[in-house]
Amino acid sequence: MSVLAFAAIALAGAVVATLVRGRRHVGTLVGFAAVIAALASATVIRADHPLLLGGGALGGDAYLRLVLSLCLGGGLLVLIVARLATWQPSAPGVLLGGAAGIGLALGLAGTPAALLAAGAATGAAATLALASPAAPSRIRALMRELRGATTSTVIGVIAAAIVPATSGSGRVAQPAAAALVLVGMALVMAHRFGAIPLHARVSRLSDVTPSAALPILGAWLPAAWGLIIVGWAPAALAPYAPGLGPERGLIVALALLTLLFGTLAALLQDEVEHVVAYTIVADAGLALLALAALDPAARDAARGWLLVFAATRTALIGWTIAFRAAFETGRLCDTGGWLRRAPALGVALAGILVAVVGWPGLLAWDTRLAMLQSATAGPALLLGYAGSLGTGVAICRMLWVGAGRSSAAVAGAPGELPRLPAPSSLGTGSVGPDGTVPTDRVVIARESVGKVRLWLEAAGRNARPALEINRVPLRAFAVLMLAGLACLVAAGAFGVEAAARLPGLAALPSVAGG
Amino acid sequence: MTPLLVAAGVLAAFGAAVATGARDPRIASLGLAGMLVTTPFVADPLPQPLSLAFGAAAGILAAFFLFSAARRLAEPLEPPLGALATIASAAAGFVVGLGASAVSVPRGGPDAALAAGLAAVAVAVGPIAVTRDVFRLGTALIVLLDGALLLMEALTGTPDPLVGIAAGVALVVLAAAAGALVRGAVSATGATAIQDDPLAARAAASRSGTAPR
Repeated sequence: MSVLAFAAIALAGAVVATLVRGRRHVGTLVGFAAVIAALASATVIRADHPLLLGGGALGGDAYLRLVLSLCLGGGLLVLIVARLATWQPSAPGVLLGGAAGIGLALGLAGTPAALLAAGAATGAAATLALASPAAPSRIRALMRELRGATTSTVIGVIAAAIVPATSGSGRVAQPAAAALVLVGMALVMAHRFGAIPLHARVSRLSDVTPSAALPILGAWLPAAWGLIIVGWAPAALAPYAPGLGPERGLIVALALLTLLFGTLAALLQDEVEHVVAYTIVADAGLALLALAALDPAARDAARGWLLVFAATRTALIGWTIAFRAAFETGRLCDTGGWLRRAPALGVALAGILVAVVGWPGLLAWDTRLAMLQSATAGPALLLGYAGSLGTGVAICRMLWVGAGRSSAAVAGAPGELPRLPAPSSLGTGSVGPDGTVPTDRVVIARESVGKVRLWLEAAGRNARPALEINRVPLRAFAVLMLAGLACLVAAGAFGVEAAARLPGLAALPSVAGG
Repeated sequence: MTPLLVAAGVLAAFGAAVATGARDPRIASLGLAGMLVTTPFVADPLPQPLSLAFGAAAGILAAFFLFSAARRLAEPLEPPLGALATIASAAAGFVVGLGASAVSVPRGGPDAALAAGLAAVAVAVGPIAVTRDVFRLGTALIVLLDGALLLMEALTGTPDPLVGIAAGVALVVLAAAAGALVRGAVSATGATAIQDDPLAARAAASRSGTAPR
């Protein structure tokens, strides 16, 4: 299946899910069905000949298939966690619209077209998430998002026009122009990921966005921007690299500051959503390092690492939703000892920790180290290495709080053990009104059909109470699956490493060059 | 550079100035329509007829989204720079763009595109940086994006049809988002001007947009 077909399915799903979002049950069913249909179509994207379209091309490869499958698979699990906690009507539409935009942005040949698609996807997803129901804080957040996405697109398009990702264009930019272009693209990358000092966006977004829409807005769309820019940079700027020392040094300094201060901020936050937001801020430093390297090896490592980043942040966001729903607060100071009440969430968080940090030989570890080594050396490498473990430290802090003394909020929270509802009566079965048991085969058959019907009716009656009293264990199970998915990606399952080495269409010039 | 090309560039720059400087939101939308429809014609060589038609149609659709949002607004807008200053900024940007040919800035497109692009960016930056009015912000963002597309055209020459399609889609999506922003602001506050975010309100706004299960 082509990327165009996937985008059509996802966009149609986004429109329908948005139209029916006002009706809770229908909205849930339609939203989930649309996400599943889009996920199924993403998993069968083929790396066949790209579709030639208006002098350019649109095509998919194994890496794009992975990005979209993980985005929608993780997003679906987060939707399930969120639906078991509350009803967030806009979340399925945001996920589908964002995924369609990511598919088009990464499937288009040529950097300007890819950046325009990424900008449109960011704007559309933010609007779906924040425009309705309207509130002043959400309108302010939407203003920030649209302002940021448009200015990022504008800077990116102009930068890619000054220094295109092809030497065949016959134009050679002045070294000073190349330096400006590198700084401009670094600004775009910093803003999209929320690097310090442009970090306020991510934190405020986590305040007002429906939590199930956060993975796409906070992790997957920034990752798509990162993939486009990191794919463009070595092809466009490598010839100028020897003259770009000061600018690269500036970006490395900003990256190190972001890694360290982002970690510090994550450790100071009390709300779990803010902790996760600042882990995204901290990891913006690694994305900046990949850009500063201007090296194809760093690009390949970044393509692998960005998948780990987005999958682990998706799992962390799912975890925060389940955590807040379980204890009715997200404040760490009020949830001491949460591990005893929610051990499954603890196991999931430990799994996410493993996926985030990894160990030598694991994709998560190796790609992170490769990015650090390609952009830094000596003390800076040591500093960057320490800072890159910041997300892991922030997760350890949450686990440490969970191992402390139980607070009142935790003591009153429901446990994670599954419970059974009181059984409904299945009727009198085959016993007749006079107490005798019929022996005629036709009567027995009729009785059997009747029994099955009664049993199904009773099961139907019991399903809703069973779901109601088991929301906590079901949420914990879904979060465990999210953590497992993150661990698999961090371990390089699904062929992540090989797929990351594919060049990607966005990094290639369009057919006419550009 | 032909006179027609310069005329198209002047029209695009004037449309940008009207879109960001007019007090009446409907006139601002019409200025935006003028700019967006003229932009595909500021190219040398001209794109294929189908690309031109797509660009013009996307421009009309984008302006329509803003126009339909403008019809909800009763009060005139306060331009951040003032109408005269906005037009003067556009004119200055245009002249600087035309003057760039004298210093041989390397480029593959026409001077008129560079001039119109600089004019659009000059008038859009102010409202984007300082305004609290969502309608003004929306029009300025569209003008800025269109200005960037003109600058890209000036640097690289007439873009591929695929880039033209992507640009048209991006403009329409941004205009639809701006329209939704205006409707949301009016429904949330009764006006298009949104005040700064106080810290307390930000903290209280957590987890909004959800309903009980």
